[in-house]
Amino acid sequence: MKRKMLFVMVVLSLIVSACATPAPVVEPTASGPSKFAFWHAMGGTNGEAVVEMMKRFNASQTACIGEAVFQGSYDDSLNKLKAGLQSKDIPAAVQMFDLATQVLIDLQVIAPMQDFVDADKFSLADYETNVLGYYTVNGKLYGMPFNTSNPMLYYNKDMFKAAGLDPAKPPRTYAEVLDAAKKLTKKDGDKVTQYGYSMAIYGWFFEQLLASSGAYYLDNANGRDARATKATFNNPEGVAILKWWKEGYDAGVFGNFGRPTADTQKAFDAQQTAMMIESTAGLRSRLSAAAGKFELGTGFLPRPDEATFTKSGTIIGGASVYILKDRPQAEQDCAWQFVKFTVSPDIQAYWHTASGYYPVTKKAYDIATDKEWVAKYPQFLTAVDQLHAAPNNRYTQGALTGVMPAARARIENAIEEVVLGKSTPQQALDAAATDVTKLIADYNKSVGK
Amino acid sequence: MKRSIPNQILLYVVLVVTAVIVLFPLYQAIITSLASEADVSNYPPKILPSAFRLQNFLDAMTTAPIPRYLLNSIIQASIVTTSHLILASLAAYAFAFIEFRFKQFFFLLFLSTMMIPWEATIIPNYMTIVNDLRLKDNFIGLTLPYLATAFGTFMLRQFFLSIPRDLYDAAVIDGCGRIRFLITIAVPLARPALGTLAVFSFLQTYNQYLWPLLVTNDQNMRTVQIGLALLQDQERFLWNVVMAGVVMILLPTFILFIVGNRQLIRGLTAGAVKG
Repeated sequence: MKRKMLFVMVVLSLIVSACATPAPVVEPTASGPSKFAFWHAMGGTNGEAVVEMMKRFNASQTACIGEAVFQGSYDDSLNKLKAGLQSKDIPAAVQMFDLATQVLIDLQVIAPMQDFVDADKFSLADYETNVLGYYTVNGKLYGMPFNTSNPMLYYNKDMFKAAGLDPAKPPRTYAEVLDAAKKLTKKDGDKVTQYGYSMAIYGWFFEQLLASSGAYYLDNANGRDARATKATFNNPEGVAILKWWKEGYDAGVFGNFGRPTADTQKAFDAQQTAMMIESTAGLRSRLSAAAGKFELGTGFLPRPDEATFTKSGTIIGGASVYILKDRPQAEQDCAWQFVKFTVSPDIQAYWHTASGYYPVTKKAYDIATDKEWVAKYPQFLTAVDQLHAAPNNRYTQGALTGVMPAARARIENAIEEVVLGKSTPQQALDAAATDVTKLIADYNKSVGK
Repeated sequence: MKRSIPNQILLYVVLVVTAVIVLFPLYQAIITSLASEADVSNYPPKILPSAFRLQNFLDAMTTAPIPRYLLNSIIQASIVTTSHLILASLAAYAFAFIEFRFKQFFFLLFLSTMMIPWEATIIPNYMTIVNDLRLKDNFIGLTLPYLATAFGTFMLRQFFLSIPRDLYDAAVIDGCGRIRFLITIAVPLARPALGTLAVFSFLQTYNQYLWPLLVTNDQNMRTVQIGLALLQDQERFLWNVVMAGVVMILLPTFILFIVGNRQLIRGLTAGAVKG
């Protein structure tokens, strides 16, 4: 009996102590620094870098104290934000991926970055126009780019040398990639031990290849001249991408490591594939994996032909920071100070060398740490060169609609169908376009447009 | 029951092969948690451990505050498990031994809640807990929607129904009250079912990711699965550090299983109706 009472007491005291834990409240104080929250989706070493950034910000001034809170993946973070909107359980600043731009605008929760820029007379002259272009809608800058990436070609220079290819000249067009892949593939009887080329079944790659081919993903110029109403990625350029994918796969020279990008990355690190396309954000990781094993080369994302290199380019990927308007003005102002801090040349140089995301301000390249870093690892400049070589047009600004995450997933299904031989490229893309158009129509209706 | 020697050998071979297949992922996780980053990208992957790098565990703990998260998860899961055991026993007892009006209807009502997908309840729960009750960042918010279990009620009811009616009648004749019967006779007999329910509830709560992510922001209140997500980065996936986190997170479930298992076995050999 005594033990039972003790048990009941323990449980009760646990419950009581749980009640007593105060929920942290973020509200501006009349005196003393204002507190604000910054939600982000960076895990691992990038997450540590974000925490470090916030620490440096807090140390650099006394008016604001910020807290960086990890909220899971980009998708989880968006869901949490949507759930918290009603009760204003939202932060002052949130990092949100590129695909969520239209959704956030439609939810009308953003305090446009343009307003803060104008009020503070902040000069955007040194900032990459292509990068800002993605987050500018109807001439207004909504979000400030935070971690920006490009996809590029990674290749194993040692394997190039062994196959008799020039390690300083990576292939640039689809045909060149296919040729090189044929020379680089090694077989052991019937089993392939080394693939020439590989790319994860990731919708983002399709978007990038399509944009750099100079074609639209959505109508109304990618949804940037007017709201998008239908998907147009089943155009000849889109079909050409999947045809190329299938051709390489059928020839046995393109490796298929599935959907998770981490798997293709590991295959490249383990030297199971000689080439792959991936985001520049993983460059740091690729370098450490290759250290002592092989020499890492980087090149531009392949295009259908040489001419397209001037016609178009890659879309910037990654995420940006948005300031939310339903928080007290003091918090929003603090968030703006934080944003200014993160895009300053010093911090951008730190972020660049710590991750592989490239800086949004050109001044970052003048910082000593950055200069030393790129001198040692010139691969860090490939994505930047690719960015600068691309024109800023509706292709490179990327597609804008509220259903981008779902569209991306639907494209991945289509790619799988083609690679596994269940449909032809045209059929698969037509079916996907029909589905995505319906999703867009439903979404537009739901926001009253 | 004597088995012939060849049958015995065959049996053991099958058992060993199955054991290897089941245990291999766990083994792989452990050796990866001790490997260095370069070892992880070796192909073909090594079967034998190649390094003994305890630094991975320290790295995991600096990237995410795993010990704190472990504590939170254990407390959260314990609260929910205890509540499940108590509430499910009470409800199952009512359904098994007591006659009351609309009993069948209420039982079906309980069961029907099992058919609602959890995705459909997350947002309404969030609205209630966070918006209306303002219960975020504490254990009440973390556990409140999950304190009752229809599955547990169902399972215990089935078990109670299997207790011979004679036992109940004999106890009633001897003047045993309802609560006393529940506590001194029904529950001890139901130890295997209770042990199973405890393990099941604990694991289910321990593995929750989305709900804790939604209702907590404070680093000190987050749970273990969020910690695992924090260790992963799409661009720089450090398998060895992630596996170190995984191994640390597995430990409480192992301990629980050993404890729960004992209850299971004890219950199986418990007394029954004599004579």
